Amino acid sequence: MTRQPENPTGAIAAVAAVWNQFWFTPADSRPLAIVRIAAAALALAIWWSYAADLQAWFGPAGVLPVDTVQQWRSAFGWSAFDWATTPLSLAILFGATGIVFLLLLVGLGTPLVAPLAAILLASLLHRGPMLAGPADDCLSVLLWCIVVAPAGEHFSVDRWLRDRAGKPAPSLSLRARIAQGLLQVHAAAITVAALLAQLQGEAWWDGLAAWYLAVGPQNRLGGLVPLFERSEYLTNLLTHGITGFQILYAVGLWCGPTQRLVARVALVAWPLVGLLAGEPLWGLLMAVFAVPLAVSSGPPAAQ
Amino acid sequence: MPSSQPETKFRGDSQPSDMTRALVTVALAVYLLGLGLSILGNTRSGSSALVRTLQNRLFSPWLVPPWLDLGFDYRLTHGDDLDADYAIEVRRYGDATTSPIRLPGTLTGERAARWRRLARSMAVATDDSDRDGLLAAAIGRSMFDAAGGQDLVVQVIRTPLPLWGGPELEPVQASSARVRMVMGDLQLIRLEPPGEVAPLIKPAEAAR
Repeated sequence: MTRQPENPTGAIAAVAAVWNQFWFTPADSRPLAIVRIAAAALALAIWWSYAADLQAWFGPAGVLPVDTVQQWRSAFGWSAFDWATTPLSLAILFGATGIVFLLLLVGLGTPLVAPLAAILLASLLHRGPMLAGPADDCLSVLLWCIVVAPAGEHFSVDRWLRDRAGKPAPSLSLRARIAQGLLQVHAAAITVAALLAQLQGEAWWDGLAAWYLAVGPQNRLGGLVPLFERSEYLTNLLTHGITGFQILYAVGLWCGPTQRLVARVALVAWPLVGLLAGEPLWGLLMAVFAVPLAVSSGPPAAQ
Repeated sequence: MPSSQPETKFRGDSQPSDMTRALVTVALAVYLLGLGLSILGNTRSGSSALVRTLQNRLFSPWLVPPWLDLGFDYRLTHGDDLDADYAIEVRRYGDATTSPIRLPGTLTGERAARWRRLARSMAVATDDSDRDGLLAAAIGRSMFDAAGGQDLVVQVIRTPLPLWGGPELEPVQASSARVRMVMGDLQLIRLEPPGEVAPLIKPAEAAR
């Protein structure tokens, strides 16, 4: 039983203790190395999705000239790709972005490469904000969390080089804990924001959202459509199942006993939701947010 | 601090001073406030003037450049017009015989999704006076060579999602603009979708 604070000062002290435990308990950086590898692999997939149409979108004769995009995007938006005004310079900058993502994947020069990867992704997205989708947003958040983390300390070329130099791997790190905390906060925030947006639509209340997802233009699970047509109950079940999962995930992340369970369920559930929604990369990225809680031996829960 | 692993070797930064802890706490608190306001201020359903002003003045200047000024309002679907299938169609003005250029056409995956987002942005921009016509003009200009003329029609075609158990629905025109080059000047003429044009009333009928 937790003793209730007896006065306001005690309450503040209790909040401070929870805050300190959540953000300042040193943590293992190995889960963040897995996050780095997964995020970099998905960054390469997203990068590749731009490759075929790069010149058609951003080239000198492309459909999105710099002046048009500058009028479209926020006044605070900025892109290094604005300076790539020739096909060659655009191809070089884009190629360099791919190389940076590849270096992040293998973990070479991670402290330098991680911020570079986040900056280059943001630049690519600001060059054509009307092309960006949920997967791009979540990847950006993940990359910035990796910037905070010592994500190159394990499963990386950096680690291999340090091993050769005889430098031991540190077990626990404060930066690792802060990065894990940020991942946890973002996982919950994104889920709650998405859930609130979904519940503004009638389709999520009358149980037909799964049908609209299945017949959506990006959906590749065409085989589900005849099943849904045959059974409205099945459609309802899947719709309410998605809603229920998101509620359990957003809440369960913050309860010690359920934390690891919901995180492990999320590793499977988010990719399935993404597949059904026609946003498979987004589903995979949402699962990556859950990796530290799913694999670590028990980070502190804010209770 | 938990002491369950006293034998574990800590990094140099694992035992922060009070000053470090205070600075990190302030940084986290500011960021988390920005995150909350970004979510509140970027929802499609809108937000209060106070939230928008706070977000725009205090947080957007440093959250927009790293692509962190996000609402995360991933509704996935509401089954309405915004979730329909959007495509861009470009053809020569007055030419009904040649096949138009269609995007995303037969493309699939994330590549197709980006063209669809572009098409949807064009359709939604018709309600935004600052952005209306911007993309149509840019796309028209870039397509002069591919379409073989300097007088084009740039359309967004929307195919609504079928109702549960219902038939496929016919595509409709979500936006349409004529883009042409006249003596070196790019001109954009908004074309009304067929359904929005008022029926012609003959003077004799009107007098009745």
